[in-house]
Amino acid sequence: MALKRVVITGLGVVSPFGNGVAALMSGLAAGRSAVRRMAGWEEYVGLQSLVGAPVEMIDEKRIPRQKRRSMGRMSIFAAQAADEALLDAGLDLAGEDRWRVGCVIGSTMGSAKSINDAFELMLPDKDLGRLNSTQFFQCMSHTAAVNVAQYLEINGTIMAPAAACASALHAIGTGRDLIRLGRQDVLLCGGAEELHPTVTGSFDILMATSAGYNDRPELTPRPFDRDRDGLVCGEGCALVVLEDYDRAVRRGAKIYAEITGFCTNANGLHVSQSNRESMVVCMRQALAEAGIAPAEVDYINAHATATLQGDQEEAEAIRDVFGAGVPVSSLKGYFGHTLGASGSIELAAALKMMENGLIHPTLHLDNVADDCAGIRHVTAPIKGELRTIVKNGFAFGGINATLVCRKVAG
Amino acid sequence: MTEQEIIEKTNRVFEEAFEIEAERLVPDAHIFSDLGLDSLDIVDLIVALQKSFGVKIRNEEAVRDIRTLADIYRFIATIKQDEAAKQG
Repeated sequence: MALKRVVITGLGVVSPFGNGVAALMSGLAAGRSAVRRMAGWEEYVGLQSLVGAPVEMIDEKRIPRQKRRSMGRMSIFAAQAADEALLDAGLDLAGEDRWRVGCVIGSTMGSAKSINDAFELMLPDKDLGRLNSTQFFQCMSHTAAVNVAQYLEINGTIMAPAAACASALHAIGTGRDLIRLGRQDVLLCGGAEELHPTVTGSFDILMATSAGYNDRPELTPRPFDRDRDGLVCGEGCALVVLEDYDRAVRRGAKIYAEITGFCTNANGLHVSQSNRESMVVCMRQALAEAGIAPAEVDYINAHATATLQGDQEEAEAIRDVFGAGVPVSSLKGYFGHTLGASGSIELAAALKMMENGLIHPTLHLDNVADDCAGIRHVTAPIKGELRTIVKNGFAFGGINATLVCRKVAG
Repeated sequence: MTEQEIIEKTNRVFEEAFEIEAERLVPDAHIFSDLGLDSLDIVDLIVALQKSFGVKIRNEEAVRDIRTLADIYRFIATIKQDEAAKQG
């Protein structure tokens, strides 16, 4: 059986820049920072990093109450992103075989706020009677995927890869396989995540957060920069619509790109630290699957979160594979690290960069750090045709993921 | 607690927890067919009434017979009277 070609025909985003792809791209174009000092975080004893990139939730009551009651913040973001992605793809689900339409949406975990609310309600008196009926549905690990499926009333494959900050790329890679194998016709794929002091705290106790810019939040995080001091958590969701190429052409759909390569692997060495050697293998295998040489890549959208160790490992890995010829930028300086959603939010931005022929630079990269040198850092916008892009995503657990997308000719 | 206080508190639960407009909250409104609640909502209704009235009703057999808003008003009034009688 010949594998189908898989293309991306729609994008939907909820990011710290607001609802919609247009809000994301205008934030990037303006070189704005969505990072701010978080009110009330001082109450968490020991929390060093008091900055974050929150989403201002809007229009959630447009989602019918009985669909919304099982949604935490991240699922609301996902439902809104799904609406935009389907509209962008020109798809009306009423005309589709609903058993062949599904969604694959990953995250580190369920709604951080809902999980915390549940324990805060229950634990003081160990009273289960205070929990409402849908609290668990907001907390469970596949909450975003389930809620999108319920919201859209679709009946196909529903999956939720949990791979922390690589979750969105895992979702897209998995969705691509489901389409390639002919198991599904249409899939909404991506990641969703929430900002919460306990989420930032999980990085903070490892000293991986940015703690030196609490009074200057608009200057952090600083990927690849000499003065970087750690990551800043954000939140949001982005979903891409995946279809097979022939079907997309048949219905005259706009095609952002074809997914030509994907790889995910693990370093097997350390639960929190990233590792150059395994990143190199990941990128090389993704390129090999795409059947291209490194020099054929026009842009690399890095994972680079602005941690001291992670940025160095990624820069070295990119240098090993690509040398200094391919433009590289990270978008974390604009809206922080959206964790499980980062792979798809940043991929959506990169696909729009491909559409617009314009690479946005790494924000706050004022002085390239010595340990991140040797690659072609983008420090000012670059105009030019982008035919092939690479998206990296790395995660706790030593997980690496790389996706290769190529513009479809014609 | 007066009957009017019970009605107001109960109706507030329906407005806040179930986002139902005040004008639809008439005593003979059927909570399933008229107000659109389902089995999950009943769990939340019990949690909200318990919190609102400071009572424990999850295991009360009479909960199962509730069909209309008026049934809820009567049910809460009975619980409150029993409570008062025990205290008295």
